[in-house]
Amino acid sequence: MVLMVSSGAVVATDVAIRNVQIHTLDAEQPLQNATLLVLQGRIAAFGRDLAVPAGIPIIDGAGMVITPGLVEPHSQIGLEEISAVDSTVDSSGGEVASGPAFDVQYAINPASTLLPINVVEGVTHAVTAPAQADDVFAGLGVGLVLAGDVLITHPQVALFGAVGARAAQHLGGSRAEVFSHLYRTFAELKTYRQRRAIAGSTNTLAGFSSHRERQYTKIDMDALALASSKALPLVIQVDRANEILQLLQFAKEFNLPVVVRGAAEGWKVASELAAANVPVIIDPLNNLPNGFDRLGARADNAALLQQAGVRVAFSVSDPHNARQLRQLAGNAVAHGMAWSSALRAITRVPADLYGLDVGRIRVGDEATFVLWNGDPLEVTTWADSVMVNGRWIDSSSRQTRLFERYRDLAAGKAQGFTYQ
Amino acid sequence: MIRLFRSCIGGFLVLMAGTAVSAPYDSTYVPRLAADFVIRNALVLDGTGADAYKADVWVKAGRIAHIGQGPNSEGAQVIEAKGQWLTPGIIDVHSHLGVYPSPSVASTSDGNEATAPSTAQVWAEHSVWPQDPQFGLALEGGVTSLQILPGSANLFGGRGVTLKNVPSRTVMGMKFPDAPHGLKMACGENPKRVYGTRKSAPSTRMGNVAGYRAEWIKALEYKAKWDAYDPTGDKPAPARDLKLETLVGVLDGDILVHNHCYRADEMATMIEIAKEFGYKIGTFHHAVESYKIADLLAQEGICSAMWADWWGFKLEAFDGIQQNVALVDQAQACAIVHSDSARDIQHLNQEAAKAMTAGRRMGMDITAARALRWITLNAAQALGIAAQTGSIEVGKAADLVLWDRDPMSVYSKAQQVFIDGYRYYDRSDPMRQPVSDFALEQLVGGKR
Repeated sequence: MVLMVSSGAVVATDVAIRNVQIHTLDAEQPLQNATLLVLQGRIAAFGRDLAVPAGIPIIDGAGMVITPGLVEPHSQIGLEEISAVDSTVDSSGGEVASGPAFDVQYAINPASTLLPINVVEGVTHAVTAPAQADDVFAGLGVGLVLAGDVLITHPQVALFGAVGARAAQHLGGSRAEVFSHLYRTFAELKTYRQRRAIAGSTNTLAGFSSHRERQYTKIDMDALALASSKALPLVIQVDRANEILQLLQFAKEFNLPVVVRGAAEGWKVASELAAANVPVIIDPLNNLPNGFDRLGARADNAALLQQAGVRVAFSVSDPHNARQLRQLAGNAVAHGMAWSSALRAITRVPADLYGLDVGRIRVGDEATFVLWNGDPLEVTTWADSVMVNGRWIDSSSRQTRLFERYRDLAAGKAQGFTYQ
Repeated sequence: MIRLFRSCIGGFLVLMAGTAVSAPYDSTYVPRLAADFVIRNALVLDGTGADAYKADVWVKAGRIAHIGQGPNSEGAQVIEAKGQWLTPGIIDVHSHLGVYPSPSVASTSDGNEATAPSTAQVWAEHSVWPQDPQFGLALEGGVTSLQILPGSANLFGGRGVTLKNVPSRTVMGMKFPDAPHGLKMACGENPKRVYGTRKSAPSTRMGNVAGYRAEWIKALEYKAKWDAYDPTGDKPAPARDLKLETLVGVLDGDILVHNHCYRADEMATMIEIAKEFGYKIGTFHHAVESYKIADLLAQEGICSAMWADWWGFKLEAFDGIQQNVALVDQAQACAIVHSDSARDIQHLNQEAAKAMTAGRRMGMDITAARALRWITLNAAQALGIAAQTGSIEVGKAADLVLWDRDPMSVYSKAQQVFIDGYRYYDRSDPMRQPVSDFALEQLVGGKR
């Protein structure tokens, strides 16, 4: 069953999907043989034995599964079209601009082909972050919905950065200097606003001259002050166990809402992460010991973290294939994670990390959900249809158009666009 | 021609009647002895494209001896596999394990001799680090044979080598006996970027093509010199040229061409070059646009080694679609799912399943048996080892994977992996899980 819906429909949708399994992500257990009722594009009700008002279109969802739209918590969707074509890549500030003040919201490309290609596969939301470049801080990211007229739902949603060997390169080469730099900077931040107020709008700050190299400029300090005043999540890429502990210590000292991204050796410090209530963003397929920061990488990292009580979200490193999120989750299950936690790791947890208020199915919300033709974590199923903010998504993308063009070469030749 | 060169090497080989003498660099792999055994009651997906059937599979002296209700099990160990699935060992035609090992640092980066547009003289096997812990991870994913290729910086990147995925102190101990070498060639963006940015040739696609042709002209001249040479005569042998030896190996049909190429139009041009110089292209690798010329590829008998869903990382990969594999297969062309990735080599079964599913989603009728062939028998054919492995058929090597459930499922995991009948991996037995030297006291599994 494929719903053919034309794009650009402005009429808010009424629909009832019956006999379907619903994972609301609000309740622990799924609803079996239930009905989801959408009226005027909003979730009106769900449950068993639900009465459907007369005249509402009905879809039989027997054998199918409804989940919230999937949420990719760290991508470059909208910033990176063709990775090797510089003019289509706006994700990095490089040597010149990377730092806390690098703000990607102005570069998000609403015409990116990555939006429809991922959304038709059930990925409805993403946080798009600057790519890690030469500074400890990469900059500010945005929360996106991948369909509709307004893409950016949450500008300046979090501050991204990294510690470890890569970040150290910029600071002389030693990991020691990374944390020294962070401690100095955040210590200065405590009194920065005061001094900033004294300095007014002038470019030079009294008592805050650039007396050391590597000192942040006023612009950078303003960005850090903003992140601090809004309590933005500080999403820090780090893999090595002892550096994760250093980060936890640092976050505790300055009371920062930190999120650990990468966390290849997170399982080694799972209890400390759980005790600090610090969530992680990981790729459960990335079990390679492919760097000296990640010699402890293992396939059951996700399971071990979850079992220790850590909130776990999954992320695909390639923005073109954020659609692999559910394959990541399926593999986490194969390696010991509870199925419901794996689904949570690609819906509710990433949404909650950033306060996106999506990743769940809740009465009264604009309807955003995916109707799968089976187990959503299985590689042999697919997104039958996707609704975002009350509208069905057109199931075609540039890739489906290419398929249609070449599916029958004999017919294609007659139209003169295939190999002759 | 290759044999002639081999006999030249060092000049000290003594050939005795009826005795195989190994030449330098030859495989020293010897199958490990294991008692005969029978795997009972597994669902067998045999790799040929036949649908799954329930059978007993008998292994004697490392070979598949019998399939079906067979002789009694006297003298053979019994592996009860009710509820499990048995497939041939998975084969990856495109890997860089060992040449881009873990950990990935400058001192282990040995996959691309990016110093000249033609480096046909280099052999990937001379970069392979047998202690790369990634080999063990791939084994855990059911991979029993794999081709290690040089990278794609050059028009001619060098020779690839096909390995058995066995622990060994030397690369010779991993080499698949008598498997032909591959020649890695590369189209498109990579060579023109690598050399173009150095202000040397090639800097354009037309420069690429001129570069291939110039080398093949040299190879033909070189071949003529050697063909005219009489080892019993007075005239000295022509000087050896390692680069041209490789190309002549292709012209003689001893070395298989593995051509990295994304775009349909460039593949078609490469076919013209092969016709001009009289060689055959075995497999286009990556081949993200094979679906646009699947009829041509079927007609030319060229395999396509493809990803399930990679696209967009460069412009020549922008038209990658998830139905590529299914469309190539539907056109009766040889379809292969490859990894080119130390991550994805660990779940090529899932990659094949995704490619199958993408076709089914568009209404194509593709069986799991068909999809399994993309990572087994078709891959073996592309590597020239299909007579030995790639399917569960009597007489072939017992390269086998026992899965806990349907291998097309994301939840399926290899439980036991056999190479030539020897159980190199057992998920329930830590002593049957490879631990490389590098792993000791450092990596997970290295502390036991």
